[in-house]
Amino acid sequence: MSEILQVKNLSVSFFTPHGEVEAVRDVTFSLQSGEVLAVVGESGCGKTALCKSIMKLLPDTARIKSGSIAVCGADITDYTDRDMRKLRGRLYSMILQNPMTALDPTVPVGRQVAEAVLVHHPRMDKEAVRRRVLELMTLVGLDNAQARCQQYPHSLSGGMLQRCVLAIALAGEPQILFADEPTTALDVTVQAQILDLLREIQQRLGTATVLVTHDFGVVARAADRVAVMYAGRIVEIGTAEDIFYDPRHPYTVGLLRSLPYFAAPGEPLYTVPGMPPTMIDPPPGDAFAPRNVYALEIDYQEAPPMFQISDTHFAAAWLLDPRAPRVDLRAGGVRRG
Amino acid sequence: MRSRVFTLGKNLLIFALSLAILSVAVFYVARLAPGDPLASYYGSRVEKLTPEARFAAEERLGLHDPIIVQYFKWLRGALRGDFGISFQYKRPVVEVIGGRIGNTLALGGIGFALTFALALLLGVFCAGHEDTFLDKLICKVGTVTGCIPEFWLSLVLILIFDIYLGLLPGSGAYSVGKADDLGDRAAHLLLPLAVVVLGHLWYYAYMIRNRMLEEIRADYVLLAKSVGLPDRKILFRHCLRNCMPTYLSIMAISVPHIIGGTYIVETVFSYPGVGTLSYESARYQDYNMLMVLTLLTGAVVILCNLVAQTVNARIDPRGRAAETEVTADVR
Repeated sequence: MSEILQVKNLSVSFFTPHGEVEAVRDVTFSLQSGEVLAVVGESGCGKTALCKSIMKLLPDTARIKSGSIAVCGADITDYTDRDMRKLRGRLYSMILQNPMTALDPTVPVGRQVAEAVLVHHPRMDKEAVRRRVLELMTLVGLDNAQARCQQYPHSLSGGMLQRCVLAIALAGEPQILFADEPTTALDVTVQAQILDLLREIQQRLGTATVLVTHDFGVVARAADRVAVMYAGRIVEIGTAEDIFYDPRHPYTVGLLRSLPYFAAPGEPLYTVPGMPPTMIDPPPGDAFAPRNVYALEIDYQEAPPMFQISDTHFAAAWLLDPRAPRVDLRAGGVRRG
Repeated sequence: MRSRVFTLGKNLLIFALSLAILSVAVFYVARLAPGDPLASYYGSRVEKLTPEARFAAEERLGLHDPIIVQYFKWLRGALRGDFGISFQYKRPVVEVIGGRIGNTLALGGIGFALTFALALLLGVFCAGHEDTFLDKLICKVGTVTGCIPEFWLSLVLILIFDIYLGLLPGSGAYSVGKADDLGDRAAHLLLPLAVVVLGHLWYYAYMIRNRMLEEIRADYVLLAKSVGLPDRKILFRHCLRNCMPTYLSIMAISVPHIIGGTYIVETVFSYPGVGTLSYESARYQDYNMLMVLTLLTGAVVILCNLVAQTVNARIDPRGRAAETEVTADVR
């Protein structure tokens, strides 16, 4: 396994009429080839902004303020749109939340896949393109690919459309696939199919995947490693086992506790109290402090550094400081009833 | 094949039925409107007519029959190609219109084509360069120009290009004795054409710009970008294509508006076109003239809409009949 993506101290802001929105703050992580990293967090915590800034697909109002992004050892932080176009598709591509809107409604899906194929092989002849399209469509599990190619997006189901989107994303054989809540708009049985498909393709092609989600069920099913984001920062990162069996950040614990799985029958579901802060001029210190029952004085003054728990497990919470009081953080552990 | 014949037949039926309903409505409403049809026939002499002479004249023009009888008389003539005479010109209506329709088609037709193309060009350009200096400039200029009334713009253009600079003629469709000189006719066309185009262009350009921006923000553009498709290709192959159905539908409705609605321009430039005829025929109860012009306009509207519908169905599969999908779904 080699490191193919390295993000260091990345900060991204959107400049809106209401002020500077600090969407991503001081994010550091890396991605090994062939692994699935899940990025988890509430809506608006910067998951999507993080992915888009790595792909350089941010709108004009957004800017990378500091930090660096390195892909396969090459620093792409200052790449222009023209430079990026050579990387997109080949190095990384993405699949979107809503497959119903992710395809051009007036073009047959086969032609859309062919377009993506031609981006990377402009001189490929017609027959070869056709074969490659069919190969991709079969790879993503579309049966009867030949007929599907002729169809328009409106006559395919959500699951089939997401498979088509995946075929387009895989056309350039990318090394990294960003999947931005790929199953949120699908119904539950299809969600499982698509997740299994992602997992299967990742194993077969060795594509590293960044899976953005707010669903721990999705994480458990697909992820090797998990990064928990809160208010633009990564507050805890570790292997899936680390996060599920030994969560250290109170926010991670809160998220896990709120899973229906841990609720006792007849009792209301647990929710993390309060609301995430607005990212215009966020409070100093740990942004989670106001919602944290274990918050310490220092949480309101200084942002916690990353504490290393094991080789793979890091968390940013002052509770992990040797001087902090011991508290029993448990997600709920044993299922009752 | 069978379905194509069926569609054609259906469209023809819609066309005929719409025209029939239109003719009844216009015929009836025109006769209900207050005013004296004899005024357009006799001009100011109408006031000196004796009641007997007046009665005889009305009898001769068939104005005493019940409206329904008048309608069927008109219809019988019309179906044989006889649309009656114009009260005002005392010549067959078709002849009067025929002498002027060429001018209108030249002015309105070229005006429409230019408006169509320029609006598309400006709209796509502005959408592609959203919020840049040029985009803002074009939008501002467009807003101002679009607000200038046509008659004022016409007068200013005549003042500048005809009176002060003497570059272009400011009235008529051709100079005396040069009716067959194409260059001369083109020169006469330039100023009115400028007014027609400048008056209509911006509205449609804005429409295209906003539709394009809507498309540019769609998810499929993001996906296309993320796999490395060049912006230009996305803009033209996908966004523009998806804007066309809306644009074509709007343009189809506005064909008669741009081609025929040139009354003010024709008046200020003394340009002998059909716009003036339409206005006068409604104003002075020139019934036969009004009927033909309205039906002509109606026919153009319906035809253009049918054309737009056909083209749109080609672009956007969602409007098409479901039968093609059934065959595609068979395993």
